[in-house]
Amino acid sequence: MTNFLQLAITGLLTGGLYAMVGAAIVLVYKSTHVVSLAHGQFLAFGAFFFYIFISVLDLPFWAAILLTFLVAAAIGLAAERFSLRPLIGQPLFSAFLMTFAIFMTMDGIFQLILKGETRTLPHFLSTETLSVGGLNIPTGGILSFGVALAMFSLLGLFFRFTKVGLGMRATAEDHQLAQSTGISVRTIFSIVWIVSALVAAVAGISLARVMDIHYPLPWIGVKGLVVALFGGLDSLPGALLAGLILGMLENLSAGYLDPLVGGGVGDVAAYVMLLLILLVKPFGLFGLKRIERI
Amino acid sequence: MRKAGGGFIFIILVSCLLLWTPKGDSWAQEKTVTYLSLADYTGPIAGLNVPADMGVEDYFKELNARGGVEGVKVKFIGVDTRYDVARAVSAYKRYRTETKLLVVNAISTGIGKAVGPLTARDKIVQLVPGDGEFQAKRGRVFIWGPAYQDSFAAALDWILGDWKARGKSGVPKVGFISWDNPYGKEFLRGGREYAEKIGVPLLKPEFFPPGALDHTVYLTRLATAGANYIFAGGVDPTPTNVIRDAHKLGLTKTIQFLADYWGPTEPVGVRAHPEALEGTVITSYYLRGEEAKKHPLAALWKKYRGKPYEDLNEVYPNGMVWGMDFEEGLKIALKDVGYEKLNGEAMFQAYQKLTGFKRQGITGPNAYSPTSRRGSLEIKFYRVKSAKVIPVTEWKKAPDAVSLHKF
Amino acid sequence: MLPCGVYNERYAQDMAVVRTKRHWAILLISLFLLYLFPVFDLQYFISFINYLCITFIIVLGLQVVTGFCGQVSFGQAAFMAIGAYTSAILTLKFGFSFWLALPLSGLSAGVIGLIGGAPSLRIKGFYLAMATLAIHFLIMWLIMHLEITGSTQGLHPAPPSIGGFEFDSDGKMYYIIVSVMLLMTYGAKNMMRTRLGRAFVAIRDNDLAAEVMGINLYRYKLLAFFISCFYAGIAGSLWAHWIMVVHPEQFTVLHAVWYVGMLIVGGMSLTAGAFFGVVFLRGLDELVMFSSPFLASTFPWLGTHPAASLGVTAFGLILIIFLIFEPRGIAHRWEIFKTSYRLYPFAYYYNSSSRKWDKVIFPRWDIPDYGYPS
Repeated sequence: MTNFLQLAITGLLTGGLYAMVGAAIVLVYKSTHVVSLAHGQFLAFGAFFFYIFISVLDLPFWAAILLTFLVAAAIGLAAERFSLRPLIGQPLFSAFLMTFAIFMTMDGIFQLILKGETRTLPHFLSTETLSVGGLNIPTGGILSFGVALAMFSLLGLFFRFTKVGLGMRATAEDHQLAQSTGISVRTIFSIVWIVSALVAAVAGISLARVMDIHYPLPWIGVKGLVVALFGGLDSLPGALLAGLILGMLENLSAGYLDPLVGGGVGDVAAYVMLLLILLVKPFGLFGLKRIERI
Repeated sequence: MRKAGGGFIFIILVSCLLLWTPKGDSWAQEKTVTYLSLADYTGPIAGLNVPADMGVEDYFKELNARGGVEGVKVKFIGVDTRYDVARAVSAYKRYRTETKLLVVNAISTGIGKAVGPLTARDKIVQLVPGDGEFQAKRGRVFIWGPAYQDSFAAALDWILGDWKARGKSGVPKVGFISWDNPYGKEFLRGGREYAEKIGVPLLKPEFFPPGALDHTVYLTRLATAGANYIFAGGVDPTPTNVIRDAHKLGLTKTIQFLADYWGPTEPVGVRAHPEALEGTVITSYYLRGEEAKKHPLAALWKKYRGKPYEDLNEVYPNGMVWGMDFEEGLKIALKDVGYEKLNGEAMFQAYQKLTGFKRQGITGPNAYSPTSRRGSLEIKFYRVKSAKVIPVTEWKKAPDAVSLHKF
Repeated sequence: MLPCGVYNERYAQDMAVVRTKRHWAILLISLFLLYLFPVFDLQYFISFINYLCITFIIVLGLQVVTGFCGQVSFGQAAFMAIGAYTSAILTLKFGFSFWLALPLSGLSAGVIGLIGGAPSLRIKGFYLAMATLAIHFLIMWLIMHLEITGSTQGLHPAPPSIGGFEFDSDGKMYYIIVSVMLLMTYGAKNMMRTRLGRAFVAIRDNDLAAEVMGINLYRYKLLAFFISCFYAGIAGSLWAHWIMVVHPEQFTVLHAVWYVGMLIVGGMSLTAGAFFGVVFLRGLDELVMFSSPFLASTFPWLGTHPAASLGVTAFGLILIIFLIFEPRGIAHRWEIFKTSYRLYPFAYYYNSSSRKWDKVIFPRWDIPDYGYPS
């Protein structure tokens, strides 16, 4: 039983981080209807720049965070401006491929900078483990999970009470209608990409704290996409729930199925779940069903 | 005709560049031989390859500066294959026409097996990291040092000794965790039989994909099975990451971790997680830590790379060992057949005569011979203490685990 | 656009792949040169062309399912793996000869492709892309964990042979590979002018309307997947016997991505698009590999020999540029070039879809349709 709980809890903690990445993708989809694969790279670069600010340049913690946010916002803005803005009006699939191309380009640059090494972030959160009834729970993990939940609530408040947030929800409903009420859809697009890049940067820093900045870090973006699809591409609470479920599912399936099958179930579990969801409920747990007309 | 357009000109440019194949003619005036390294500079094992190939390159630069081997200079070609077999094969085919290509270093088990038939056909000497299979089925492929399974056997011996030294009775339970690929599984092909032979129970081994970011699941299973020692494979920074995850679970207090040849190095792994790695034992066939940095050849690091000693990766002098073998082999081959008739076959014969060559103390003495493809036979154990890698034993001969397994 | 003085007087002429006598002459001479090529013994180029031809077969398969039928598939690398492993297992463990194993591996990949293509019956567009990606991971995981495929050790198939003659060098495999490639290309081009091809294009343009028109969606979508995976399987089998090593790490997600990228850069809707995409992107890869020592010495911050990562960056940049400036790919530019060549010195052509006389200016970013499927 402790094994089950241990796996479930560590899974839950990691799931919170996956949920954040999924949230970034849902954010972009809601307003622009573009599914973005590039957020994996945003999170990797966010983590990397944070490493530079806090380790190489030895800045204090909050200054490093602020600067990382600035850089992440700049990257998000650049990605939107130079590669997605020219595609307004083209079929959405081209935009998806474009985010894919952005992912590839940034991946190449990331590998060039990293050269196969690992960079570790210094310990800015506590590294102790709580021993509760035979389970080992890292306190740093709980803090990151708390940050993820706080981020979700912040986003929720942002959408409800700020003018920009309301503008984003309006754009998500219908671009034409939003424009007719005076909201500049192009500005909204830029803001959406900036905010999602910030969310991805926070997720990146939390993930890099646990997993170090290593060459597979950007591929967590694909897991984020799985989370977003599972929860419904236009639902933030869906992304949260789906992230937690995915984290737990990975750990539990790896823990219990690995000895039977010979290993590696952890990575495949996410994709099997994705496949099942796409076949059974293509729009995710909480997504809106789209009716297609000829 | 109207302007043909940038696109058309671009296509012509590309085809011209493709047709222009630079040959080794620029070196035509001097006598040269070539050494090809199919390495990975930006992928999973870049942590090992980049400093090692820097070592070989600098060694050859130094050698050429001294006038080469009897006037024959060595040209080093390093190719980034990013651990991809297709790229390695295509790179090999691109460079196999270089002037007197004598040795190919295929730095990866998978690439070594793919390029093997090609080098056998071209009769060129090939080096691979440590697969015992090439000792069992002797061909033109030479291993860098003792085979992986031999090192695992030596580690098992050390484990037994340590267990008894701690005053415990009975036998310890040993766990094994490594990459899910040919390199990771090679240790047990011979290692498993050796464990049975000396009566040490080996727990069910755990394998994870090279790109895995988190190893808690695998470690939890080994811990629940009651492991007292865990041998962690993988190329640095992977073993560091595994032990880091173990440290987070609190396992490093009760389980002794060991790493293989490519375990934590001072500038990469140890610098990243010194507290997690405290006490880890490293199996090595080459000098590490301060011993590596104090070696006279380490001076080339400052000379050619201009970086401080603290950044010297232990694999750097190890890479020079390949250069040393090449130099010695070249001397013997030139004496046997002379420059004009020099080819891969002559180098192959020369390599088999390298038995006993001292390799300037970086590893044990060379053990290539007509019946042996092992680079050396000796292993040394190191331990991580206060962010430094210090030796805990002298050079010991590794047991032969390759002969225990049916290949 | 037909050359000046050439008119289609019969239906067969209209549908012909090779139209004029000049086309036939060029075709036969090119074929002759193609088969003569290994005589020149340019080792590196022969192996490069082998690699190109195998990739071309794969991308042709991808074009059938994505370009002509509109079902996005990121799974080509996995189906190529199935073909390669089937061929290796049949020849090694069951003693089949290569000539029998080749079509069988294509069939096996096709059959598994039916299963892999099943999601296309329910979902489409981007969702289908993710589903095929998931299928890729599933298939590769299965391959890595079954004993029969040698799990992570891989297999070592032998080169093909007729009687006692072994095709064990690049030059000898060249003939097999090029012949198979020509066969498959002709098959793809031919397929597109039959009823099957027209059904595919109808499904791509608007599948609901196609269904209303009477095209059985289930049947044709699955058939498209079967054909594309058949192509991938054949290519996989050729690959296995050419490289003589089959290993799971040869078929990664990155390869699947490259194939889709090649299709986009080359042009999705014309068979020539696959060709352009393959040649351009593989050539780019080789170019980066050649120039990386030079780049590494001029820009030391790139580190030693950054070839592989530069290749990925270049690929991404090219994809971005093409998606922004020429989403129809190089094949489209080629069509424009041909048209302007044929019309020279006249600058106008009759645009049958807008029914106006439009000006041909080469190059132009927004040239409209000519009426070919696109």
